[in-house]
Amino acid sequence: MRIADKMNYDQVNSGLQKNRSELSELQNQAATQKRVNKPSDDPLATTRVLSARTNINASQQYLKNINQAKTFLEYSDQSLGELTEILVRAKELAIGQSTDGGANAASRAVTATEVEQLIGQSVHVGNRKLGDRFLFGGYKTTDAPFDPRGDYRGDSGEIRVAINKEADVSINVPGSRVFLGQGIRGSRGSATTGSGLSPGVSPNSLGGPSPKNEAPLRGPAQAAATDSALPTSAAQTQLSATWRNEGTNVFAVLQDLEVSLRTNSKEGVQDSLDRLDEALAQVVLARAEVGSRLATLNSGTENLTKGVIDSKSLASSMEDVDTFELVSNLTKSESTLKASLESSGKLIQPSLLDFLR
Amino acid sequence: MMNSQTALQTSGHNIANKSTEGFSRQRVEIQTNLPIGNGKTRYGMGSKTAAVTRVNNSFLERQIGNERSLAGFYDGKAEAMARVEQVYNEQQNKGLNQFVADFFSSVQEMANNPESLATRTQVRETADFLTKDFKRVHSQLTDITRDLDQQIVSQLEEVNSMAKEVANLNEKIQQVELSGGHANDERDRRELLVKQIGDRINIRWAEGKDSTVTITAGNSAVLVAGYDAKRLEAKGTPETDTKGEGSVDIFYINNERAAPVAVTSQFVGGKIGGLLDVRDKVVTELLTDLDKMAYSFAANLNEVHRQGFDVYNRTNLDFFELPQNLRHASANMKVSNSILEDVGRIATGGQMASAGDNRVALKMARLQQDKVMGGESTLDEFYNSVVGKVGIQAKRAETSSDSQRDIVKQLANIRESISGVSLDEEATKLIEYQKSFDASARLIRTADEMFDTVLNLKRM
Repeated sequence: MRIADKMNYDQVNSGLQKNRSELSELQNQAATQKRVNKPSDDPLATTRVLSARTNINASQQYLKNINQAKTFLEYSDQSLGELTEILVRAKELAIGQSTDGGANAASRAVTATEVEQLIGQSVHVGNRKLGDRFLFGGYKTTDAPFDPRGDYRGDSGEIRVAINKEADVSINVPGSRVFLGQGIRGSRGSATTGSGLSPGVSPNSLGGPSPKNEAPLRGPAQAAATDSALPTSAAQTQLSATWRNEGTNVFAVLQDLEVSLRTNSKEGVQDSLDRLDEALAQVVLARAEVGSRLATLNSGTENLTKGVIDSKSLASSMEDVDTFELVSNLTKSESTLKASLESSGKLIQPSLLDFLR
Repeated sequence: MMNSQTALQTSGHNIANKSTEGFSRQRVEIQTNLPIGNGKTRYGMGSKTAAVTRVNNSFLERQIGNERSLAGFYDGKAEAMARVEQVYNEQQNKGLNQFVADFFSSVQEMANNPESLATRTQVRETADFLTKDFKRVHSQLTDITRDLDQQIVSQLEEVNSMAKEVANLNEKIQQVELSGGHANDERDRRELLVKQIGDRINIRWAEGKDSTVTITAGNSAVLVAGYDAKRLEAKGTPETDTKGEGSVDIFYINNERAAPVAVTSQFVGGKIGGLLDVRDKVVTELLTDLDKMAYSFAANLNEVHRQGFDVYNRTNLDFFELPQNLRHASANMKVSNSILEDVGRIATGGQMASAGDNRVALKMARLQQDKVMGGESTLDEFYNSVVGKVGIQAKRAETSSDSQRDIVKQLANIRESISGVSLDEEATKLIEYQKSFDASARLIRTADEMFDTVLNLKRM
């Protein structure tokens, strides 16, 4: 082949240019520590990184949601615990005054005053606030749900919070349910999302480490019976007492007890005993429900945290440089550049003219 | 001696033009003179310079022209795509992906705590940022089209002035070659110009018997015919389906009186073709996608939002001011004024007078997972696929441009191998002709001496 001078120069030029651009690309990667610096570097990786980032963002938000939900539920649980104690105390008092043996009109009048106080305390529990929000008002979180007489002014709304892409969990127990015993069995259709989910926990978020495969609709009561440790075994045996649509109005029970005590009605007090048991079971059931939701949230946290880590490592494996590979590539490029510089120097130098004296 | 001098001169010319682009080395064609004599004895009469010709392969030149035109196309495309891709590059900066995610996170936060003014304000802010980022992408894309337009205009100017020069060269070459000469340098220059026009625009060209070339740009715009060069002009025209308002169309001006003919669609090659391709296909599609995304997002969010009640117990409210048309929705969407003034007007609840009711807010947050893009994909999936598409297009343009450049380089190498100047060769030739010049001079001196001898005969 006939070699013209311009060929040599062009070749040297383009060779050097290529080496340099390779080197600069590698240096850019070293500087950013990223293999993908613009979409065209690896279009597929770019889209996967983007969706991984969306996942991370979403999961982190879900984690935040879960934390808020937990605070709300834990405080609800604590308040319901207090309510349980109040009812237990009322039962103790009622038992003490249920026979003629140890009680008379005077002692019943004294006890009535204590029961009155207990009513006040339970109203107080019903009006608990977390920050500026009332725990037991349903959707009406800005007004106190119970007046001093125990009349409910909230609604039956369940505030839901998304805990992952598919499911949400209600973070409150409306006062109408736990205090008034309305809609206890969860027969109410879901008023919140309109997606036909039962109240409490949405179907595929219930319990278990692999919640997505667990499709059956479990009502809150059933969940309570299986998933959560109940505080007292006595309550457990009485659970069946609450299997009906209308539960017990806690305030009414206490008020009736007070009236019975004041009127010195032994039968009234004895009557109250059964109803107190029912009320206790109702509150315990609600607590169980809260507990099962908390358990769901905890397992949700684990899943999400794992998901975040997975997504992060996926994104990293897609877009970050393999440092060892990079360094070895850099060295390779550098030595290539040196080699081509050296050979170029030799290539350009000689011409016949140099030897024609 | 004259022959040697011509040859030396040509070598000098070659050496001088060693680096001139498009130059073909020239060669002196030396022929023997007609011999004279009678009978058996014929004397050679030495040599004469028949012609100075150039060493050139016209088929190769044509091939180079075609490949360069293709290279120009991919070059233009790669260049423009590199800029388009930067709009969608979220590796360093926040982009739509991030802003959409931010918005939905803030909506969830609002759902967690609908009573709080702070979370509502956060939603307003992120929504505002999101609309601004839609606007940013839209305006960056339109900026790119404007920039491409300017490039097209300046490239066309170059094409026009080169076409004029080709027409002039046509005239010169014809004059030179009618009188039997070889217009070597002019032809080199003309070929180079034709190739350079081809870099910028797709052309067909042919040389006629009268040594003039005819260049047709696109399919029908005769750019150069004989001594005449016509003009291509770029003018801003109203918005069409493929391009934005004020973007240029290319017109062919046959003569000043005739109406300009729109020929934009004929240009599918050369740099201008590449730029037009990006402008009219890629960017237009991207803008459509962006508008679709903005519109679907705003429309779906509004639909959910209208079901809700704000803190003043009003319902059927819009969150976004929905643009009238799908077109330019990304530039025109904005958070509704009433929400900008008062975040209490964000409707979160599904019933009246329930501050803690977050059902509608939850539904809004769920839109992130809903397939709002025509029931086929979520906002995220849609946007990510757009980014992927841009990446693939940019990458393909770049690889095509690289490989096409390699092809051109190879061909150019072959061309140089045939037509390029080699200093070694010229140096050899210099010595060769110098020697023959020397020899001729010696011959003359010998003749002179012989003549002297003859003149001095009688003195002896």
